[in-house]
Amino acid sequence: MAANKSQGSYYTLFLVAATVLCAGLYDISSGIGILLLILGALGMVASLLGMLKIKSLEGRTALKPGPGFMKLIGAGVCALGWLITLYGMHLTPSVGGRLVLALVGISVSLFGIIVVLPAAFNKNAVWKA
Amino acid sequence: MSKFVRSSSVCLCILALGLAMGALAHAQTPAAAAAPTATPSPLPATTKELATAVAQAPTTADLAKGDPGGTITGTVNDVPVTNPKVGLTLGDTANQVGQNKIAINFVWTLVTGFLVMFMQAGFALVEAGLCRVKNANHTYMMNFVVYGCGLFAYWLLGFAIQMGGAAGNGNLGGLQSLSSEHTMSLFHKTWGLFGGAGMFLSGHPYDVGVMVIFLFEMVFMDTALTIVTGACAERWKFLAFAVSSVIMGAITYPLYGNWAWGGGWLSQLGTNVGLGHGYCDFAGSGVVHAVGGITALAVSMIVGPRIGKFNRDGSSNPIIGHDISAVMIGCFILAFGWFGFNPGSTLGASAAGNLRIGTIAVDTMLAGCTGTFGALLFMWMKNGKVDASMSGNGLLAGLVAITAPSGFVSTVGAAIIGVVAGVLVCLSCSFIENVMKVDDPVGAISVHGTCGLWGVLSVGLLADGTSNYGGSWNGVAGSVTGLFYGDPSQLVAQLVGISTLIGFVFTLSFLINLCIELFVGQRVSVETEVAGLDIPEMGQLGYPEFVFRPEPESMQQAEAAYGVTSSVFAS
Repeated sequence: MAANKSQGSYYTLFLVAATVLCAGLYDISSGIGILLLILGALGMVASLLGMLKIKSLEGRTALKPGPGFMKLIGAGVCALGWLITLYGMHLTPSVGGRLVLALVGISVSLFGIIVVLPAAFNKNAVWKA
Repeated sequence: MSKFVRSSSVCLCILALGLAMGALAHAQTPAAAAAPTATPSPLPATTKELATAVAQAPTTADLAKGDPGGTITGTVNDVPVTNPKVGLTLGDTANQVGQNKIAINFVWTLVTGFLVMFMQAGFALVEAGLCRVKNANHTYMMNFVVYGCGLFAYWLLGFAIQMGGAAGNGNLGGLQSLSSEHTMSLFHKTWGLFGGAGMFLSGHPYDVGVMVIFLFEMVFMDTALTIVTGACAERWKFLAFAVSSVIMGAITYPLYGNWAWGGGWLSQLGTNVGLGHGYCDFAGSGVVHAVGGITALAVSMIVGPRIGKFNRDGSSNPIIGHDISAVMIGCFILAFGWFGFNPGSTLGASAAGNLRIGTIAVDTMLAGCTGTFGALLFMWMKNGKVDASMSGNGLLAGLVAITAPSGFVSTVGAAIIGVVAGVLVCLSCSFIENVMKVDDPVGAISVHGTCGLWGVLSVGLLADGTSNYGGSWNGVAGSVTGLFYGDPSQLVAQLVGISTLIGFVFTLSFLINLCIELFVGQRVSVETEVAGLDIPEMGQLGYPEFVFRPEPESMQQAEAAYGVTSSVFAS
């Protein structure tokens, strides 16, 4: 169905709610601020639920459902590499040791991005149909 | 065999060039600065002397005769006087000197910010030119609207997160109203996490200096956001793009920006754990380009490749852009805007080592030049033809790569960084397309992601230790120095930054956009994609009076497999 009035309405709600939520954050120490925060959050949730409601009107896309868990595993491996790098800065004070651990961490993250995630996404890829 | 010989020749040429450049770099020891000749101590200025200067200044009658040579315009009479009864004092004069310094820096930062804003036009031309004609309107619109989405989100929340704790910049008056950085204590050290002052630019941050830094940082943020539109062009739903851009401008980009530039933990790696000068990123190879490129990779994976991009056996089909002239002109606009991007990142043209702006500008030009050659010559030797779009990407790759080290390297270093980036972008495009099977219509992931990471790394290798921005950087005294000039710990700091980009920024962007896929749906329908996004999403073709040629047969076959035929093409 592509672009339609409902999309415009829900995106407008999204922006207004974001503004109200941020206004609440700005003045969070006051009662009005907390009220605005709650209203803004509710508005954001409403806009997202509205977008979810009209999502099916788009029609079929070329994407096929893939292994969602594997995608999360890939993201997790990616984040794990970052944590290895950070911990390595604490583990050893030597520059050489930190260099090695940083490279290990980067390698682990790259494994997640280059190997795990493409495998997850390409399992039921568009072009394999 | 001939292919092997060609490849070996390419490698040998690059190695030889690198060794020659390295030898040249070491041979070029900067001449020791000449010792200043002794000057007699100036006589202390007195109010009487100031009064004499006022008395000798041109009168109104003198000025009424006109000043064609500019010799009597701008004198002691133009210095504001606090107390007319007392007359001009030393305090008045000193105040004017201080205000002049700040005014120069304000004008510099604002004008360079305006140049960076103009880069949005360059990105629009490059991206739309590399897409098919049936998607031109949609691609232009994404680049147009991303300016508003990003600015709005940044004004609401993003600026506060990024720069809320960035007080202390002497170039712009101190920015003392940005003194709210949320921190945490870990391993007996305090680490900055995100800022808190500056939402809506209201309250104490309603300040002249804050307005300047807001404008400058905002246009940088928008550059990161627009990168994603290129990688996801031709199948990204406009609504999903709009939601994703707001979230990226409000959260993803500002978070990493705070860590690098806003007093956050990456910049504190030097003071807290002794890693060089902490993570150094002069103008944003990491903060802007790598964040944009890595987010583009995450979203491209989720959105999926275009119909007809890959065959069933996994081989890829080239999908040619519709307007190479737009691409080339866009690249020139970007190169022009980069004179604002890099030299502007001094945030001033007066005091604190800011006169290095000329060096930074030349480094930027050179890296773009050698980046162009790197890509052009690589593709020429590989395919036998000069590839225009890849040459443009080579220029951009060199410019992206020099962005982080531009304030810290010599011209030789800049040339090396550029040529490596030019070759790297070609290899990366091939890898991402043919190995990872990620479709990137404009090469944004390679230009900005891969070459952005190379730029971050090159600081840790080639920073030559000659820059001096007020005697310190990130709170560590001395000049930023890389591995090849004696400080291996700087390289480690850069690697921590790279790990954060790959491990944290990618994961955060990936999870956010997975949520957007869940609620909104990232991709347009098959019918919309085949017909072209212009009419279904925008309601109008980009070129409504043109008659379009049919798409290549392989594309028509791929689209027909979905039971859909295009409607905008001549039969």
